[in-house]
Amino acid sequence: MEINITKGNVDIIAVSGSIDALTSSELVKTLNDHIHDGHPNVIVDFGKVEFMSSAGLRAILASVKEARAAGGDFRLASPQPGIDKVLKMAGFYNIVKIYPTVEEALASFG
Amino acid sequence: MKKHLSIVIGSGSILCAASLGLMKALKREKIQPDMLVGCSGGSLYAATLALGFDPAAIHEMTVDMYKNDIVEGYTSNLRAAMSGETRFNETSGLVDDKILMERLQTIFAEKTFADTTIPLHIVATDFYTGEEVVLSNGRLVDAARASSAIPMIFPPWKINDQLLVDGAVCNPLPVDVAIKEGSDVIIAIGFELPMRRRMNSYTAVTTHFNSLYMNNILKSTFAFYNAAHHAEIIPILPSFEKQIGGFDHHQLPYIIEQGEKAAEEQIPYLKKLLEN
Amino acid sequence: MAEKPRIALVVGSGSVKCAAALGLWKALDHEGIPIDMLVGCSGGSIYASTMSLGFSLDECIEYTQTLWNEKVTNEKNWRAMLSAVFPKMFKFGHDFGMISDRQMMKNLHQVFGDKTFADTKIPLTIMTTDFYTGEQVPLSSGKIVDAIRASIAIPFIWSAHRVGDRVLIDGAASNPMPVDIAIKEGAEVILAMGFQAPLPSKVRSVSRYAFHINGIMTNNLYQSNFAFHNAVHHAEIIPIFPDFERSIRLFDTDQIPYAIEQGEKATQEQIPYIRKLLNL
Repeated sequence: MEINITKGNVDIIAVSGSIDALTSSELVKTLNDHIHDGHPNVIVDFGKVEFMSSAGLRAILASVKEARAAGGDFRLASPQPGIDKVLKMAGFYNIVKIYPTVEEALASFG
Repeated sequence: MKKHLSIVIGSGSILCAASLGLMKALKREKIQPDMLVGCSGGSLYAATLALGFDPAAIHEMTVDMYKNDIVEGYTSNLRAAMSGETRFNETSGLVDDKILMERLQTIFAEKTFADTTIPLHIVATDFYTGEEVVLSNGRLVDAARASSAIPMIFPPWKINDQLLVDGAVCNPLPVDVAIKEGSDVIIAIGFELPMRRRMNSYTAVTTHFNSLYMNNILKSTFAFYNAAHHAEIIPILPSFEKQIGGFDHHQLPYIIEQGEKAAEEQIPYLKKLLEN
Repeated sequence: MAEKPRIALVVGSGSVKCAAALGLWKALDHEGIPIDMLVGCSGGSIYASTMSLGFSLDECIEYTQTLWNEKVTNEKNWRAMLSAVFPKMFKFGHDFGMISDRQMMKNLHQVFGDKTFADTKIPLTIMTTDFYTGEQVPLSSGKIVDAIRASIAIPFIWSAHRVGDRVLIDGAASNPMPVDIAIKEGAEVILAMGFQAPLPSKVRSVSRYAFHINGIMTNNLYQSNFAFHNAVHHAEIIPIFPDFERSIRLFDTDQIPYAIEQGEKATQEQIPYIRKLLNL
């Protein structure tokens, strides 16, 4: 798993590779540090995520809660079909705003 | 920072009137919700409260709504459909929706989501895929009609070319809408459907299976929402010791009272949460 | 994670698609990865049972094909259908089902005989639902035949089945992919194989309509349970959702070899990760 942060009005955190039991703690740490560094609004670009397991889903969920508790929001962008299926199954479409592209996610913050 | 407060009123036909008791208790404490979400029977209360109707008017609306002529023709239509005498497909229902529509028209006329004083969302289900459909604009008559299209009983309802049924088929207590919209404190008033012990007709079994599934979906979604929400969800689950049938509108005072009682127990905690 | 993580396989409901579990098993077997615990629901209970009893892979394929063939679904229960139209003349009750279970019971007996849960080589749990209360009822003792018969009692198709003093139906009505059983039993790695219920494109009768609504509610329950299980499990749930490009309906038994193949493929994709988790 790799994490790249692009600064902007709302920072975009691009994740690539596999978010699973072996990598999720690193992602949680990066996201939470970012949120508590005065950036409660984040967009996580899922375009290059290849695999997600339950540990990965829990990591995302923890950061979603962290961002909202800090007064911001956590929005997801551009999941690939395989990952999209897992996100749907795991109820993420119900509780997180998910957009087909990063541009749309950016626009959603207004 | 002021906490954003949502009230979610779940499905439960006439039992949803318990939400009037909740509103009574909140009004006494001068607590105003920032958003209302309704599903199935709960959509009627969420919508009328969002429009600012006063409780007495909503009470009257309930009495009028749940008269049993609303399901007239059910038994004979079922027999005709089962024996193949009449056709039955995805746009059918075993009850003519004329009376239901008249009553909804009386309540909402041409009002839309834009006319509400409190933001409102109503949940329905896509008939074909089973997915949740959150309605937030358009005519309230349409949204309430779609959200309360009890499977097989009332025909599904078309909105913008999408065929919709009862929101309880996907999400009987749609707390997710409030979570997604960023609410902090969410009051969720929900109802388990009564389970039967005796079933002596195809209808009874069908209703039983629907209730059984809806109750299980209610528990399962609620478990997830509790794990997924960043702040607080206050469940208000009124208990009804008396047996209440679908059209027992003479039980309304009791239903409202139970809702008020269940709400009052949570008021001190709610106040603390909102003050912090 | 523990020294030697315990691996559970959960096979969710999905009628003939559940044969994909045999493909999963094939892929694990190839790597020498053993399963420590089996959980099955509805169609999945058939495959979980044969695997837990220690049959070889080939035997499992053969037995399950005998078990689940067209004959099983051909015999209509006319009395039940008439009772739906004339409930007073033909007594209507919880034993309502459109298809007679005579052939199904015969086939189940042929494969499982009088074997009980005590005869399993790998601990087995089969999920069912209490017909009256709707609560989930996991079975892990008694006759395997009864547990499977109850677990596959799809509403409207097969009648409910009495086990002891409870009347039970399809596990999918309460818990289509019972990952929670494996969580509760303390499994560290849970392979969760699940399937969406097939939905008919055309609804042309009251019974089809009722069946369609059941299908979409099963899917919604499957999804919300899975969401919750993922949010609360302490270790790892690996979802294995095989892709089916062909549409496989409830009783398309000739599609079993294809289902097995797709199950194997979907599992192979996860093998590198499973190996890493197990420190292999």
